[in-house]
Amino acid sequence: MSEKFIELLWAEKYRPRSLKDIVNQEEIVRRLLKFVEEKSMPHLLFAGPPGTGKTTAALALAYDLYGNEWRRYVLELNASDERGITVIRNKVKEFARSKLPGDIPFKIIILDEADNMTADAQQALRRIMEIYVETTRFILIANYPSKIIDPIQSRCASFRFTPLKKDEVVGRLHWICSQENIKCLDDSLEVIYEISGGDMRKAINILQSTSALGEVSVANVYKVIGLAHPREIREVLNLALSGKFIEARDKLMNLMIVYGLSGVDVVKQMHREIFSADIKLPEETRVILAEYIGEIHFRMIEGADDEIQLTALLARIAILGRKVG
Amino acid sequence: MNYERRIPWTVKYRPKNLMEVVNQEEAKAKIVEWLSKWPNVSKKALLLYGPPGCGKTSLVEAIANEYVYELIEMNASDFRRKTDIERIALKASTSHSLFGFSKKIVLLDEIDGISVREDEGALEAIQELIEKTNIPVIMTANNPWDQNLRILRNLAEFVQFRKLTKTDMRGLLMKICKAEKIVCSEDAINYIIERSEGDLRAAINDLQSVGEGSSEVTLERTKLLLRPRDKEKDPFETLRSIFSANYAWQAKAVTNQTQLDYEQLKMWLEENIPLQYTDLEDLARAFDSLSRADLYMGRIVKTGDWDLLSYAIDLMTAGVALSAKNNSKDKYRWVKYNFPQRILKASGLKEVRSIRDDLAQTLAQHLHVSTSIAKSEIIPLLKTIFSTNPLKAAKIALGLGFTERMIEYLAGTNKSTILEYYRELKKNMLLYYQSKHSKPVENNEMHKKEVDNLNKDSKKERDLLAFSKKR
Repeated sequence: MSEKFIELLWAEKYRPRSLKDIVNQEEIVRRLLKFVEEKSMPHLLFAGPPGTGKTTAALALAYDLYGNEWRRYVLELNASDERGITVIRNKVKEFARSKLPGDIPFKIIILDEADNMTADAQQALRRIMEIYVETTRFILIANYPSKIIDPIQSRCASFRFTPLKKDEVVGRLHWICSQENIKCLDDSLEVIYEISGGDMRKAINILQSTSALGEVSVANVYKVIGLAHPREIREVLNLALSGKFIEARDKLMNLMIVYGLSGVDVVKQMHREIFSADIKLPEETRVILAEYIGEIHFRMIEGADDEIQLTALLARIAILGRKVG
Repeated sequence: MNYERRIPWTVKYRPKNLMEVVNQEEAKAKIVEWLSKWPNVSKKALLLYGPPGCGKTSLVEAIANEYVYELIEMNASDFRRKTDIERIALKASTSHSLFGFSKKIVLLDEIDGISVREDEGALEAIQELIEKTNIPVIMTANNPWDQNLRILRNLAEFVQFRKLTKTDMRGLLMKICKAEKIVCSEDAINYIIERSEGDLRAAINDLQSVGEGSSEVTLERTKLLLRPRDKEKDPFETLRSIFSANYAWQAKAVTNQTQLDYEQLKMWLEENIPLQYTDLEDLARAFDSLSRADLYMGRIVKTGDWDLLSYAIDLMTAGVALSAKNNSKDKYRWVKYNFPQRILKASGLKEVRSIRDDLAQTLAQHLHVSTSIAKSEIIPLLKTIFSTNPLKAAKIALGLGFTERMIEYLAGTNKSTILEYYRELKKNMLLYYQSKHSKPVENNEMHKKEVDNLNKDSKKERDLLAFSKKR
């Protein structure tokens, strides 16, 4: 009934609730189900590319262990957002201190994007994992397990999530389409798979956005991608490279206001753009540009002013553009 | 020495009526017209601005004299806490005047002297005074670009006063000499005028200090008594002095005599370097220096070590001044400088950013992702939905508990359509659950909670999710 009034994001709506609903990563699911059965588990480390089911598996494991009340026994932290180790420590402490009901063997802390923690923070985390091990188990989630320090890795049972196969992603998208009663034409879902690079969350998000245009067709998929990733930062770079410094600057300042971008947002996007084939540059120039952009990024972290640094960057790019152009 | 002589001449020779006010014809006409139309004017306050001693306060006093207004005054030497302003406002609003004046003017003198830190709340109190006033409010300031005045910019009409010409000043000083029976040599008068840089008050004070009690004033005596005075440069003069400096010390010296603080100077330079330097390489060099100066300023904030400031100044002044290598004539070019756009836009930007941050936070919680993924991956896709399918957008907004500000941010030009759908859906949903609630339903309790949450608005709407999942 509520569909009459509200719509949710499909990536969340169709997230498998229980481990039994997860259709891929069979080997991992089988091992996790064993933990549920025994009501016991070590610290876990889930590693793998984005959108392969790491967070889903962690949440489903919690659901299977605790049932509908799972949120009471699970603390979710995202290491990219809760950067300071003191924040993590305080939250963890507070969470771990509360008493466990008799039939619950331990609580779970899910620490997403754990590979974004600094080495120092990881050292502190390692201590926390030891202190609270009686009452609390950690599930660490990471894209790049090599960025997790060895002492933590050795305390965790490690699970490698493999990239999803084309059939798996397309199959899931098909299923969602049938649930939502929407038509998908010819190769559109395959195209979504290609664009999303096997990232299920991304694929589902693209599917939902495309359906907003009406039917899910190849043309509409590309339209959504075009709309969602404005080429404006690229235009700013191209303006600067062709020596139109003032126009580049005005355009960039305007973009920052319209989209509410911070200076770091801008340099990160620029960094992605300079390696795109749509920006015509000698290859070695791309590397020089990367160094320019990196220097500005560093200065902003040092507390410098976004606008002045970006303006100086555009002026430097304009000079570079003149030399190579 | 009799009593008469001890009155400052600046008071003694203040204009008694409009005729006596020198120059400023444009300002005169503007103010008189505005007062005669009041309250049928577009802005209920005036801000008179111009260099010191050009007659801003005198003109208002002369007008009050001539047209019989009671002046309710407050200037920089008074306390300017919030309560002081409110006291003035109260005094202004009481209808009966003690002195039998029927008309009144509130005069807030030197408002650019209000310190944001020490006179906390004063500017807001002034803002409120202007919004509610039932009598004309006139303010004066030297530096209309002062950041403090930003919030008054939309509330007051600005009236410019010009620097007085040498001829105007000479006439006046001669008149005073005559009245005071002083013989003053022409070169002595010229020296006083030169030194005052258009500040009549300063010139009259100088004349009094050399002329009072002596019947003859010579150039030697004047030079002996009056040392050269340092004047603060306004933003435009500051920029001109920096750009045109040929030596590093010249450019550096500017920071000792400018109205701008370092942060402001940085922004004025940022805005105007591209106007002064036309050669791309010169311009890039200047921005490189400025960005390095800015880096030092960031480090000062980070470390709290103000010793680093001198390097920032070197780079900002000398560095920028000496950047014109390819086209050195640019340095001396006369340029009409701009007020920094970013100061005007700053508050808007901050607001958009905080809405985007809140939105990312909401999405991050909902989708179990970090806020940076929410920003880079989810928000762009939501924007496409919001720009192409208003009904779907409204449903999602309701489903995820977005605030109306978030909807506006995502919707762009579509915002009115989506908000309309959104409010309609919300209303219908409330009605739907209320009607369900009145019938005996199995999970009555849950619906009740649902309706409660909806009433609490925004953030609580997120709890809808929990509901829809249970369903």
